[in-house]
Amino acid sequence: MVTREQVEVVVARIRPFIQNDGGDIELVDVSGNRATVRMSGNCVGCPSASMTLYMGLEQALRDEVPGFEELVVV
Amino acid sequence: MRAVFDYVRVVADSDSSILITGETGTGKELIANLIHQASHRRHKPFVPVSCAIFAETLIESELFGHERGAFTGAIKDRPGRFEMAEGGTIFLDDVDDVPLSVQVKLLRVLQNRVIERVGGTRALPVDVRAITGTKRDLKQLVADGKFREDLYYRLNVIPITLPPLRERREDIPLLAETFLKRFFQRRDQPPRPLSPGVLQAFMRYPWPGNVRELENACERIAQTCTCDTVKIGCVPVSVLFHRNTEGAEPVIETHAHPSSVSLEDRLRDVEQGLITWALRVSGGNKSKAAELLQIKRSTLGDRIKKLGLPDSGSDDSGRPASAE
Repeated sequence: MVTREQVEVVVARIRPFIQNDGGDIELVDVSGNRATVRMSGNCVGCPSASMTLYMGLEQALRDEVPGFEELVVV
Repeated sequence: MRAVFDYVRVVADSDSSILITGETGTGKELIANLIHQASHRRHKPFVPVSCAIFAETLIESELFGHERGAFTGAIKDRPGRFEMAEGGTIFLDDVDDVPLSVQVKLLRVLQNRVIERVGGTRALPVDVRAITGTKRDLKQLVADGKFREDLYYRLNVIPITLPPLRERREDIPLLAETFLKRFFQRRDQPPRPLSPGVLQAFMRYPWPGNVRELENACERIAQTCTCDTVKIGCVPVSVLFHRNTEGAEPVIETHAHPSSVSLEDRLRDVEQGLITWALRVSGGNKSKAAELLQIKRSTLGDRIKKLGLPDSGSDDSGRPASAE
């Protein structure tokens, strides 16, 4: 089981950067082996940015949180 | 880095060997080329050779050339890199990868200024200045018996050491700006500024691949950015999600021994640690450091003064801080 704290540690690493750009990332839910985040701000809608942030975050979570499977962006 | 450039001007025109030591991506070849361009040999060839890309047996033929029939596949005479560089400069990069057997020959060439092609009998005189590059500490390799001491002294007449990017973070914004301008220009697009978030991520990342890695990151950004400012979403994943230890906030360790603790002293230590950290990751820029610490710029100034920290930081406007 993945805990909220484990996911939060990874999310917190990029949050300052996103906030500095006038956006935010919020951890909505962690259940089972998946986490749901909500992103807001300037980068929403940019295909490059969604790719980087979504894939980067999911990869980082898989690398660092044992058993982590899926990231959902709402 | 400015000291390196000044030094290059001083040593460029001599014919002495130069040994450039620096991590991968710090610009060894660039400096070697700069030395060549600033020397009287600038109208003659500059020949860079990486000694790491060749199989052991090939290095010799690559450097000194070979005669027809010297070995299987040697179907015609071929001049070596030393001959190609005649009158100019040869840059032997990754010289630490040259096998011991070839090191002897290299030493002979540098000492006698004469080369002998593989399979050849004639001694050809060469007039070439040798600059060598290494990412490892050659002196240590000598101590370990992996590099010939006599060759080391022959190469290391004038040593130049290039600092890794993480030790000159203050240059990151300027370098990034320069690279982005170049890469956007290649796409016929005007340069775009970096957002504060991107700059923060760049300043914190340790850049193990140094300037080359920064250059590649900027190239990627120029290819993917779709908006008018480079924002955090365009930064490569490896930079963004790096678990950095060096640029991280200092850990506040808990007091282990049970004797009495001075709260004032402890708070002072913590404050000093955090301010030093903020100044370091912001490259000495106090406005940015204050932002990181979520305090006002003036408050930061007061605290630095109160703590008696060395006042070497700068303002955005470039005024000396003591003038306020």
